[in-house]
Amino acid sequence: MIKLIGRSPTALNIRWISKVQSTWKLLGISPLGLTMLFIIGIAPLFIKNEYILRLMVVSLMFATQAMAFDLTIGFINVVNFGFAAFIGLGAYTSALLAINLGVSPWIGLILGMLVAGFVGFLLGILTLRLRGIYAAIMAWFVGLALMSLVTVNVDITRGPLGLVVPLFFDSAGQIRYFYIIFPIMLGTLIVLRLLTRSHIGLAFRALGGNIDAARASGINPVKYLVMNWTIACSIAGLVGVFYAHFFGILTPAVMHTKSTVEILAIAYIGGRGTLWGGLLSSFLVIPIFEYLRDLLAYRWIIYGLFLIITMVFYPGGLVGVVHLIGNLIKRLYTRLTKKS
Amino acid sequence: MQLTGLLDLVIIGLFRGGLYALMALGLALVFGVMNIAQFAHGEFFMVGAYAAFFMAAVLGVHPVLAWVVALICSFAVGVLVERTVFLPLRLRSREGWVMNAFLLTVGVSFVIQNIALAWLGPTYRGITEYWKGNISITSGLNVSADRMASFIAVIITIVALWLFLQKTRIGRAIRAVAQDERGATLMGINLSRIHILTFGLSTALAGLAGAVLLPMTQAYPTVGFKPMVLSWYVVMLVGMGSISGAVVGGFIIGILESFSYYFMGGGWQDVIVLSILILILLFKPSGLFGAEVKGIWER
Repeated sequence: MIKLIGRSPTALNIRWISKVQSTWKLLGISPLGLTMLFIIGIAPLFIKNEYILRLMVVSLMFATQAMAFDLTIGFINVVNFGFAAFIGLGAYTSALLAINLGVSPWIGLILGMLVAGFVGFLLGILTLRLRGIYAAIMAWFVGLALMSLVTVNVDITRGPLGLVVPLFFDSAGQIRYFYIIFPIMLGTLIVLRLLTRSHIGLAFRALGGNIDAARASGINPVKYLVMNWTIACSIAGLVGVFYAHFFGILTPAVMHTKSTVEILAIAYIGGRGTLWGGLLSSFLVIPIFEYLRDLLAYRWIIYGLFLIITMVFYPGGLVGVVHLIGNLIKRLYTRLTKKS
Repeated sequence: MQLTGLLDLVIIGLFRGGLYALMALGLALVFGVMNIAQFAHGEFFMVGAYAAFFMAAVLGVHPVLAWVVALICSFAVGVLVERTVFLPLRLRSREGWVMNAFLLTVGVSFVIQNIALAWLGPTYRGITEYWKGNISITSGLNVSADRMASFIAVIITIVALWLFLQKTRIGRAIRAVAQDERGATLMGINLSRIHILTFGLSTALAGLAGAVLLPMTQAYPTVGFKPMVLSWYVVMLVGMGSISGAVVGGFIIGILESFSYYFMGGGWQDVIVLSILILILLFKPSGLFGAEVKGIWER
């Protein structure tokens, strides 16, 4: 029966369309989100100000990091507190290869991602037996150990002095950097979206909720937990490589817990477990922060207080606010149409 | 290596370890009783260091008085934080408490650190010494009077805290809450007061550590990070929430550090200690003296 229908060309068409539709649904990007992405994507063609472009590149970088970070905290409910170390791992891998062997940064992108992903895989195995806060602290310790290793091996990494890393391009111009990081961000968003909306994402959430219950329902914790750590860490490594060849200077400070906290703050202000909240909040927080530069340390106090308030009183974050407004508009709209 | 040299290393390790034990005690206390994995512990160390600096160097009071003031200051800041941050969270949600509280302490650490930065600036403030002179312990080892004094202060504090927890009514109430919160409430223990007291005590211990270490570490906004990390090593080594274990663990980490510093050179001690820790956690996730990792902690 199905085969018979499949032969007719119109049915084939319908099936193809419905397949696209279902994939689209899986992606779960609303028209609003799509417009936002589109506007961000074409903005550099109209903005000629290098400074603003640079700010956008930095925002995109943080957005990608926050999304990868959210994969662990938002779904399996463990903070990857050594996250920054994986950014540094990718960055140092590519930087050292570029400096010593003259490997192109483009190959470095892949290699850095692989190395960070591999160490993330090991970390995933390491944290398997640990639960909740223990796994977070373990990840933190591994991150600290990696940072100390980089700092101590002065003859390879020049320690705290840092490395001068060749850039992606010889000439200046932020727009080309934008179009490296933008596809990376978009790819991360799409991959993570598809992942978390499939049965894998469901397994992540189940494991994050109650590991014993998840195991009882036939979810293999080893497979999914290790998968989660590996993916999150490899994205961190990928962004790290971009970081190294974008800024051109690399010090162990990249791997410090402070960097993790910055990413954590962005992911949390955006909304835990939402993925695109990271994109939203980094595009709000980072430009505002640049704007408030004159306030010096006070802006960090505001930032921290904002983080605390979000955590205590509004765990939904910015995405929660967006949903709230969306619902309000919807309700208003239905009320108006009903009246007329 | 000669025997006296080995002994020296052990003694140096013990001196270092005493302070780690003091810090770790606070961490273990607050985790054991309130299930808060404290990331802002170092900030209270900083508060203590600043308080001691302003008392000892600016006002020129006696060191012991400066220490007491530092203790009180960090106690007060701790109580303030508990009331304004953790109480609202506890009232709002108990779901996923451990992880949320941990992330909240990250935010608290961020705020306190930057308040110090905005208010006092990034300058290093320190004093050269509380007391002059050295005390020779073995033939080859001289310890500065400050280190000796700090060690004595640490031992006195640890013993006093132990007596407080074991012998007094309030101490028993604290231990009861650590064992079973609901049961303790049913016995008529005022949970809110115990939480204030525990959090304050824990931060006061960190503050005292900061105050006695002032000649060696000085005071600046990010001074607390290193001691905080070290006390976390201790707590993870012995198992979270094990209060008596924290003391032992402090000395273990101190000795481990002084040995790896001697044999491998500066900078490597972190790598060595962390590698050993990660190995221990790999085979015994609950730490050396820890109980099975179960119940509320895993959330």
